[in-house]
Amino acid sequence: MWIELLTKRYPGMRAWLSQRLTGLAMALYSVLAAGRFFYLAPSDYAAWVDFFQPLWWRVLTMLFWLALTLHAWLGIRDVFKDYVPNDTLRSVLLKGLVILLWLYLAWAAYLLFA
Amino acid sequence: MNQKLAKKNRPKNLNLFTIRLPINALVSILHRATGCALFMILPVILLLLQWSLRSAEDWQLVLAFLHSPFIKLVLMGLAWAFFHHFFAGIRHLAMDVHWMTTLMKARYTSKVVMVLGLLATLVVSITLWL
Repeated sequence: MWIELLTKRYPGMRAWLSQRLTGLAMALYSVLAAGRFFYLAPSDYAAWVDFFQPLWWRVLTMLFWLALTLHAWLGIRDVFKDYVPNDTLRSVLLKGLVILLWLYLAWAAYLLFA
Repeated sequence: MNQKLAKKNRPKNLNLFTIRLPINALVSILHRATGCALFMILPVILLLLQWSLRSAEDWQLVLAFLHSPFIKLVLMGLAWAFFHHFFAGIRHLAMDVHWMTTLMKARYTSKVVMVLGLLATLVVSITLWL
């Protein structure tokens, strides 16, 4: 089964497939979000708050941010791997990236559910 | 030892301005560059979202900020970054399932990605400035 490729036994395939699946998920969410935005056309503050009121939308947005976190990790990690040959500097940058992405994830969760 | 020296003395051609990128390479490097740009604005997106949801006054402030001419230009650039990354990503997905993988077809889809990205940006820009 292709889903097996997402396990730790195939780290390279796992990264490759995760990048694709998260990309696809974000693309679908983006189309949905744009459609919803134009359909509801929130024109004042109350409407804007209402836009983020439904639980299903907040859950979907959180899933989007989760996908974004993984996608950004894989993408920026590749960039560091390609352009930062110094091992020490790269590992520092990668750690910084992880911290930053966790912070953003917590921030997004706070905005959506707190 | 000699091998090491030979490796060191190998000529490098890393002057990016002497390399003419074929269209598919251009789409590829722009895919990466736009990805980095989108990553870098993540905190701004979260900040604006937070402010816009905080109170009616803050929502008004965020809206005024987004409507200033300079920010509109930035938004146009970000819109292009998003659309290019979006369409180039879909092209990647298509190629992963073996669509349009010959060189000629890949060049063609690269052009399509460039055009779609710019067209979508144009549409957004028109709604932004009207």
